[in-house]
Amino acid sequence: MTFFGLHFQDIVFYTLATILLIAGLRVITTRNPVYAALYLVLAFFTAAGIWLLLEAEFLAIALVLVYVGAVMVLFLFVVMMLDINLDKLREGFWKALPIALPVGGLMAVEMVMIVGARNFGADVVPAPAAHPADYSNTAELGRVLYTDYLLPFELASVVLLVAIVAAIALTLRDRKDSKSMDPAKQVLVKKADRLRIVKMEAEVEKNDVVDTSAQADDKGAK
Amino acid sequence: MLENYFPILLFILVGLAVGVGPLILSKLVSPSRPDSAKNSPYECGFEAFEDARMKFDVRYYLVAILFILFDLEIAFLFPWAVVLQEIGLFGFLAMMVFLGVLVIGFIYEWMKGALEWD
Repeated sequence: MTFFGLHFQDIVFYTLATILLIAGLRVITTRNPVYAALYLVLAFFTAAGIWLLLEAEFLAIALVLVYVGAVMVLFLFVVMMLDINLDKLREGFWKALPIALPVGGLMAVEMVMIVGARNFGADVVPAPAAHPADYSNTAELGRVLYTDYLLPFELASVVLLVAIVAAIALTLRDRKDSKSMDPAKQVLVKKADRLRIVKMEAEVEKNDVVDTSAQADDKGAK
Repeated sequence: MLENYFPILLFILVGLAVGVGPLILSKLVSPSRPDSAKNSPYECGFEAFEDARMKFDVRYYLVAILFILFDLEIAFLFPWAVVLQEIGLFGFLAMMVFLGVLVIGFIYEWMKGALEWD
């Protein structure tokens, strides 16, 4: 199926790529960080579409599930939590520009040199042959991930473990104002912990005599 | 393989049309006579006095990040489940080591009380 000499897949690709570029630009140019995060969601969705065009269906769906479903929620949390003062952030823009522009430009040139058409052009990396309808990219991935790439796979679990420990170490605090009780500790309390019986001499009430005489004096005065 | 995804593309396009269509239609059809009172922010009769964004407890963030980590773990389980018949005992043990390392993390966060909410 062709339109104006373009395959239907090409049209989908160019549409998705255009949306991806615009969304990516808006992520860094929009003023409101919440909008920037939402544009990032759009960028993830379109990137997933492009991966799908490459027949990497599992990665495309994982991108939507993990990044859009979870990582972006985290980003939104951070954006909400930081309480950023935008005017303060913009203050140094023109002062930093003379340094930032060459550094950014250099990085852009490096990236173009590496991922440009010379190394990754259509003639160097041809499009993968189209697979039949019953082809499963997920099974293909599973066949190599748990056998040929065993060490990176196990290392991934260690990286996740480090992330768990780091997240807990950084954010878990005991709150001073917390009034919650630990039921286990409540049950373990004994009488001796709460109640103290003190032996003492019986008190002799010496003042009684004085008091009654004073009252008697009052009455006499009246 | 891509022809399997053509209905999904159609669904996305139709879904976009259903979402965007009413917006455009209401923009075109409905009368628009804004004034300063209509455009001013309104909050239940009060003056809108502060930013909608506010600081909240960092423990929401902790719960979210712990969720993401185990979400990633689940993502690794899908291809494994599909090909478990082919990769056999070796693949099974590989995943058990992977899960074992993450169970250590799970026990750690449980013992630390990161899952408590008080």
